[in-house]
Amino acid sequence: KVGTSEEESPFDFNAYVVEKANFVNKALDEAVSVKNPAMIHESMRYSLLAGGKRVRPMLCIASCEVVGGQKSAAVPAACAVEMIHTMSLMHDDLPCMDNDDLRRGKPTNHIVFGEDVAVLAGDSLLAFAFEFLATATTRVSPDRILAAIGELAKAIGTEGLVAGQVVDLSCTGNTNVGLDTLEFIHLHKTAALLEASVVLGAILGGGSDVEVERLRTFARKIGLLFQVVDDILDVTKSSAELGKTAGKDLVTDKTTYPKLLGLEKAREFAHRLNVEAKEQLAGFDPEKAAPLVALADYIAYRQN
Amino acid sequence: FSPVSAQFDLKTYWTSLIKEIDQKLDEAIPVQYPQQIYEAMRYSVLAKGAKRAPPVMCVAACEIFGGDRQAAFPTACALEMVHAASLIHDDLPCMDDDPSRRGQPSNHTKFGVDMAILAGDALFPLGFRHIVSHTPTDLIPEARLIRVVAEIARAVGSTGMAAGQFMDLEGGPNAVDFVQEKKFGEMGQCSAVCGGLLAGASDDEIQHLRQYGQAVGVLYQVVDDILEAKSRVEIKGGDNRTAKSYVSAYGVEKAMEVAEDLKSQAKRALDGLEKYGERVMPLYSFVDYAADRGFSIGESV
Repeated sequence: KVGTSEEESPFDFNAYVVEKANFVNKALDEAVSVKNPAMIHESMRYSLLAGGKRVRPMLCIASCEVVGGQKSAAVPAACAVEMIHTMSLMHDDLPCMDNDDLRRGKPTNHIVFGEDVAVLAGDSLLAFAFEFLATATTRVSPDRILAAIGELAKAIGTEGLVAGQVVDLSCTGNTNVGLDTLEFIHLHKTAALLEASVVLGAILGGGSDVEVERLRTFARKIGLLFQVVDDILDVTKSSAELGKTAGKDLVTDKTTYPKLLGLEKAREFAHRLNVEAKEQLAGFDPEKAAPLVALADYIAYRQN
Repeated sequence: FSPVSAQFDLKTYWTSLIKEIDQKLDEAIPVQYPQQIYEAMRYSVLAKGAKRAPPVMCVAACEIFGGDRQAAFPTACALEMVHAASLIHDDLPCMDDDPSRRGQPSNHTKFGVDMAILAGDALFPLGFRHIVSHTPTDLIPEARLIRVVAEIARAVGSTGMAAGQFMDLEGGPNAVDFVQEKKFGEMGQCSAVCGGLLAGASDDEIQHLRQYGQAVGVLYQVVDDILEAKSRVEIKGGDNRTAKSYVSAYGVEKAMEVAEDLKSQAKRALDGLEKYGERVMPLYSFVDYAADRGFSIGESV
């Protein structure tokens, strides 16, 4: 069973995940077709369609629906955030960065297509995320689409993913990394894009400023939660279970929450973040908020 | 056209625009924590002697249709950011492996390959963000900005500049036209088109700008390659670029024919904008500059 929730809920999360993941996979498959030159597009598709959990697109769609929007308003944005997530993994895996050979149980993009193509296909996915968001979003007012573009851009650059990776790289091999720095890394490397996923959904779904900000706080909490759980899984699970090189963070001397806080404290921290995240959803229609609650629980209790 | 053309002073127009654009780019990338990434980005975007051709073309195209220069600056800066991003990535060891650019160490030579990749990754979104956060929406409707973002994204993406770079590395028969069109034509095309989009030009006018920018972008590069080939005969060696240029593929003679053809293509495209009279002069004289290099611009003295 995926995502064992603490409380009993009538909401069928498993069915929701299967349905939404299939839906998103189909949308991504259609969004990125093979054009000339074929190899770049095959490289883009190889990583994009490698069967990720689609947590970001799901958050985007669920957030759009929680503010009363139609799913269709958020679908291009949901695809865009997954494209960005994928391209950042492709570039992070490169030999000059984290040097990973394995991702989601498959050889990484540069192993299959070469470093040059992996860089270009990553750049292309980055660009296409914006093109797709800008051109495929329909029946949403232009000011909201533009705001979504701005939010997505902010989440990727030097105030988001890139900042996290830069500080992460500079900390590799450094055993004196403090909690502040660790949190900076994760809030930027992981939480920023989860935040953008949720915020884009809320903006495109027609949410008020107050609603958007409340969902932003929710997203930041689960973003950090995501990374804390990732760190915990990394020390408690094998490579086969995770589909990536486990224990690598310890081998390369990266600071992790279990290393800094101890495993138990790290688990407590995760629990607290989950509770605080869900508090943000109190003001929304419980039925419409159910997917977000379940996604938070899924992030907290996932096993890989 | 020619009598008016003689009166228009492109060098002054261009030089004053460079000053404004350089200042706005400088302000657009303030150094914060983590410092090294901002420095890597600034190093390439603010490189001395940059001619700022894409921003100038964007502003000039915008002004043809009566668009406000101030409203075009954020997009003009964004063009320079994404342009810098693709040059940084093109220079990487796994790509063209160029240790220098514009007579200075290339980004990865100075900051390391990892930082160079991330600087590029950060400059693409910064360009989009800059457009969204700096364009006065009382002057430019949001719907136009969305088209501008889509146009820039298309130009740098998998069927645009990235495709050109890929074919440049991959090679194959008859790759040279594709490489030149994508690697250099797209940026020119996108720059001119964005200016038109900002000012609310009609689809037909955008089409003319597209043809114009495409031709000028390639022309500029072909002439660069011709000049470089000629100077290499004099100085000998120095450059080991593998880039597929008309010169390396067909020789200087043929490249000069191509340049002549592109020059008339670009001017023909502007004929469709004749009704705007003198306001087309900057773009018109830019073609002559690209072809003849009648004066030097942007070079630090």
